[in-house]
Amino acid sequence: MSDAFPATVPDEAMALALRRIAEAEAAGRGSEMAGLGFKQVVVNMGPQHPSTHGVLRLVVTLDGELVKDVIPVVGYLHRGKEKIAEKRTYFQYIPIPDRTEYIAGMNCEWGYVGTVEKLAGIRPTRRAEFIRVIMAELNRIASHQVGVGTFVADLAPLGTAIVFYAFRHREKILDLFEIATGARLMYNYFRFGGVRYDLPDGWVEQCREVMNQAPAWCDEYESLVNDNAVFLQRCIGKGVMTQDDVADYAITGPNARASGVAHDLRRTRPYSVYPELDFRVCLGEHGDVFDRYQVRVDEIRESAKIVLQCLDMLPAGPVQLGGLRPPYVITPPPGACYTAQENPRGEYGTYIVSDGSRYPYRLKYRDPCFVNLQIFPKLLRDNKIADAVAISGSMDLCLGGIDR
Amino acid sequence: MSWDLVLAVVRLIVAVLIAYAIVFVAALVNIVFERRVLGFLQDRLGPNRTGWQGILQSVADAFKMMGKEDFAPTAADKTMFTLAPIMVMIGAVAIQVVIPYTKGWTDQNLNVGLIYIVAITSFTVLSILLGGWASHNKYSLVGALRTAAQMVSYELPMILALLVVAMAAGSLSLNAVVAAQGSYRWFVFTMPFTFLLFFIASVAELNRGPFDLPESESELVAGYGTEYSGMRFGMFFLNEYAGMTIMSMVTVTLFLGGWQGPFANALVIHGVALVPLVWFLVKVYALVFVLVWIRLSVPRLQVDQLMGFAWKVLIPLGLVNILATAAVLLWAPHWKLAMAVYSWLALIAFVGLFDTLLRWRLKRQRRRVAVLT
Amino acid sequence: MLPAIGGAGLSIDEVAARLAAALGADLRDPRVQEPDTVVATVERGRLHDVAVRLRGLDGLAYESCNFVAAVDYVNRFETVYHLYSFASNTYLELHVDVPRAQPVVATVSDVWPAADWHEREAWDMMGIRFEGHPDLRRILLKDDWVGHPLRKDYVDSVENHPHV
Repeated sequence: MSDAFPATVPDEAMALALRRIAEAEAAGRGSEMAGLGFKQVVVNMGPQHPSTHGVLRLVVTLDGELVKDVIPVVGYLHRGKEKIAEKRTYFQYIPIPDRTEYIAGMNCEWGYVGTVEKLAGIRPTRRAEFIRVIMAELNRIASHQVGVGTFVADLAPLGTAIVFYAFRHREKILDLFEIATGARLMYNYFRFGGVRYDLPDGWVEQCREVMNQAPAWCDEYESLVNDNAVFLQRCIGKGVMTQDDVADYAITGPNARASGVAHDLRRTRPYSVYPELDFRVCLGEHGDVFDRYQVRVDEIRESAKIVLQCLDMLPAGPVQLGGLRPPYVITPPPGACYTAQENPRGEYGTYIVSDGSRYPYRLKYRDPCFVNLQIFPKLLRDNKIADAVAISGSMDLCLGGIDR
Repeated sequence: MSWDLVLAVVRLIVAVLIAYAIVFVAALVNIVFERRVLGFLQDRLGPNRTGWQGILQSVADAFKMMGKEDFAPTAADKTMFTLAPIMVMIGAVAIQVVIPYTKGWTDQNLNVGLIYIVAITSFTVLSILLGGWASHNKYSLVGALRTAAQMVSYELPMILALLVVAMAAGSLSLNAVVAAQGSYRWFVFTMPFTFLLFFIASVAELNRGPFDLPESESELVAGYGTEYSGMRFGMFFLNEYAGMTIMSMVTVTLFLGGWQGPFANALVIHGVALVPLVWFLVKVYALVFVLVWIRLSVPRLQVDQLMGFAWKVLIPLGLVNILATAAVLLWAPHWKLAMAVYSWLALIAFVGLFDTLLRWRLKRQRRRVAVLT
Repeated sequence: MLPAIGGAGLSIDEVAARLAAALGADLRDPRVQEPDTVVATVERGRLHDVAVRLRGLDGLAYESCNFVAAVDYVNRFETVYHLYSFASNTYLELHVDVPRAQPVVATVSDVWPAADWHEREAWDMMGIRFEGHPDLRRILLKDDWVGHPLRKDYVDSVENHPHV
């Protein structure tokens, strides 16, 4: 029976991990308990694992309880979006960035549409700008709820209530999206020069009602976590990311802001109507797991404020450039351009090279999770496995963006 | 070949079967109870299809597990591998035998009941170690060793708290402990600090709630039960829930007055009073609810925090508690009142100081900087 | 401790002028792309040198590498490096021509660790080899994939789909 299953040949990542162990042992830096006959062990976490978010595979080298090395293996969700871009017109491609970071679809669409508009010199209508900001900030709240909920669920799996409460509150936001765009998660809403649909009747009031509840949600999450000694023990001081790390590894988003780096594209590289809005950039101080969680909860509050302001400032007017005849076929002049938006996970941007035809010549995504994942080996080194789970949860990855 | 001997053996077998049956049913009910309560607290419904309100859910699960392939790893020690899941329930059943369910009904009225309980709780550790070792899997072995270390460490505070109860009741027999509590002067009100120590230690002993590292689902390996599947795993699983009920029964007996309650003499059939049985079950399931509630609210402790808590906090406090209670009993003029005062003060000091110190050490001001460039 | 965002208060033209002054002939054809990007070309052989100097530039250091993109213009490749400077809150976009026949360029992952995986993706998708990279293997595709898909002349081969 046992020879019906041939011995597994380690793939490249495992082979690399085994090679590194062999080198370490040859150099005399084997297991710390080598005297007791222990060796370093390579273990696979994923791609199916309850606590790696999405199909992420971590090849972990363990020395007893300590993580000595992590080799992340990605690509299980690769769908070739960059190649697809070269065969679709700019307009046909719009639904596809949605599906990179599927939890934050609106922001991703904006990342693509914004670059094309800059290349082609299209300016969206004013009402559409405000609607875009509203949708993006609502999506930020929903995405942070997923991030915070799943992170807490990693620490206290199944038995915790906070993930259910966060998801239930998120349902209210997804209902708003469904009424406005027709979809809960893949919106296909942004267009060049505006958005697809205007807000339906009564949407503004409903949105206002939901956003007035948002601070209460944050209070509920904080009441469950911030005073809980066990949570604090497991979060404070773990997985510290210094500001030099943030610069070296180009970390952006709440992960960077938790380390005290005030890099928020809505303020440092303002786009759309953000200069007219009043909101704070939420910073953390120590760059540990707890600060990353706290920055996300604070950002939910700030986003609710932004949405309420936009609802008040919403001007009348068309939501689509060209009224009933929006531009379907766009041929931007030849050139290259990069713009980025503040995704809930960091700086999400697209670099588009145009050759004057209807199809993009080259589309390259700058995905925040792809970049944030590079710091994993450094962050997880010399931590216990349980801390490793907490730290990776706090980085809030979305595999759709990493693999595209 | 006398009929008396045969009859005696048959009675013994029937008694053992009834004891097992009680524990099994309690475990099955407990599983459904926990799943519904978890659902209710998480703002969703639990299983509610099988039977009325989902009561038959664990029966359905048990049937499913029994239908699975009986699989053992090739290199495992066959005898021990089969023996471990069978052995694991013995602890729960053996304890259940001495618990006074109601006035006039104790299966075995031992006059050293407390010592007996203490001895039997160590039995589960044995079977877990056996299970981990017999799997021939180094991760199972490490998981089993961790579990064993945790259970052994937390037995000590439990025993220290039990000793205080024995001192206060003046006897080691469980019936005497229940009687000493009277109808309202339960030990949870007169000795809350001891109750807290015992409760925390029992939660850890059960591998429940914040102390469930051995069976953590999102960690790397599944611990001692990795290689077990089907009904073998089902036995380990049932044992956890049986243990919950049995330990709650012990806690109720020791601290919550056992079967005491109003209308104790209302319905008496064959010398067994039925109303106190109802009170007993109500109290037991209230405690089970609290156990489920705790599991839901608190993330799990890591293994070093767990062991540190046992050895550096609970055991010294348990010892100090014994000394203080003994001093109060010996020298205080109204020893019951004095003991209550001391225990409440100790509880407030422990909870207030410990919790505040821990949080003050861990929490610091978070600066929220506004940047409006 | 990173400098405050936008603290230096330089305008983008001043940044371009200072870059041209500091790097001289190595930075070819610098132009400003509104609102905050300087675009320039660097010769392939000088890339690593320029990278090191950009990282250590006084008052204008480019500490962060946003991404490294590889573009296939049919007769040549081009790698694009997008860098960010915290001190001046500006971006720098460097274009490096890589010949099609010999697609090799020096790595910058020792200067900016964030470029590591981007270069792996460029190798995976476009087939540009980065000299000196610590671990150049495929990242998004499976290890034994044949070909580099983002090339304009890529044709999918049967070996890549054994189970279909």
